[in-house]
Amino acid sequence: MNCAQFESIVHEIERPGTEGFALRESALEHAESCGRCARLMIEAESLDSGLRALMAAAAEQKAPPRVEAKLMAELRRQRGAVLQRRVRRQIVALSTAAVALLAAGLSLHYWKGKGGTANHPASPSVNNPAQANGAVAPASPNIIEIDDSESASSFQPLPYADDPSALEDGAVVRVEMPRAALASFGLPVAAMESDGTVRADLIVSADGTPQAIRLVSQNGTSSE
Amino acid sequence: MTQTTDLRDALLVRRIAVGDEDAFAVVYRQKHPAIYRFALHMTGNASVAEDVTQEVFMALIRDPRRFDPARGTLGGFLFGVARNHLRKRWEQDRRLVAMDGDPDDLHEGESANGHLGVSGSGTNGSGNGHHGVLAHAPGWDEFATAETVGRVRQAVSTLPENYREVVVLCELEEMSYEEAASALDCPVGTVRSRLHRARAMLVEKLREPRPLRRASAVGEGTVR
Repeated sequence: MNCAQFESIVHEIERPGTEGFALRESALEHAESCGRCARLMIEAESLDSGLRALMAAAAEQKAPPRVEAKLMAELRRQRGAVLQRRVRRQIVALSTAAVALLAAGLSLHYWKGKGGTANHPASPSVNNPAQANGAVAPASPNIIEIDDSESASSFQPLPYADDPSALEDGAVVRVEMPRAALASFGLPVAAMESDGTVRADLIVSADGTPQAIRLVSQNGTSSE
Repeated sequence: MTQTTDLRDALLVRRIAVGDEDAFAVVYRQKHPAIYRFALHMTGNASVAEDVTQEVFMALIRDPRRFDPARGTLGGFLFGVARNHLRKRWEQDRRLVAMDGDPDDLHEGESANGHLGVSGSGTNGSGNGHHGVLAHAPGWDEFATAETVGRVRQAVSTLPENYREVVVLCELEEMSYEEAASALDCPVGTVRSRLHRARAMLVEKLREPRPLRRASAVGEGTVR
């Protein structure tokens, strides 16, 4: 090894995994015979010692606990925001699914209703909203059959119903809802009777807005 | 860093992404001291080191997907983020490393020997300088160590940034060339050559005699 080679590795002699470390023995041999390179080696070792002292002095240094507290608070805030976004997305997805389902149901019902009219033109059990309630008369009402075991009240227009004469299309949908939900249709619900469910027919306009409601009950039971 | 550690880190980061506080605490407590020390050595300012540490982990909380295990270790990623923050700060304020003029009474017990002003290696002179005497006096060991640490710290802090960061990573954080290259996003050969050059600069800086500040007031600039 010559002086130039020694100088190129002198700072790596004590660093495992390096070229200098691999050539350590021959570097030491060279330093024994070269005063200048021996001095370089001593200076490198002295520097190592100083850096180790600095490393030891700094070994216990770390950020104050308030930093961790702030970061934890941020993590919680972030998680809350993520959850909120996820819930919002779920609500939107569920609403979309519900609307799609309702639309599909109405379409099917409408399609079946048209077929039913054709197949049973003289069915006495046809319940035409126009017949049930003169105030509400969809242009193309659908058919809900009332069994012998059932009876129905007349259709009541809902508070926000459109003018029946302006309805171009619509459907009658049989639903079962919590009795308490009748209040949202503007129907009186006695406090004592707010439990349980009721069966009702809804006249729904083409845009899906309920227009009128009638209650359906099994014969022998009270629906309202 | 082992493959197992890498896998574990990747898993922990995935847990952090879903707001797992325990996972974050594990990562923070394990990794933050090195980040804090890196920022501290790079800036010489504890308050800035605290801010940088906070920003680094804030980035991990806000966008954990920025860490890609395929591109390197979590430690390397965090050092890279810290480095970016430091560079931004330096652009804002070039006066962060202004330690040259800091008063430090410890520096006044300066070694007068002809080698590097670094004690502890057993190679710093013939024992004729007062450093050798101080090192053997009861209570002076700490003084000598603190003086050594102060000198080395100052020498490191006055290195150009590119050189300072390889010294901090490879010498003070004991990273391999490969790890440092990953953190600094540069080739291994660059790390090696920068470290070699940085150490040569440190040797030069530590070879220079230290000015005695109080003595300079009466016209004696340096210890001879």
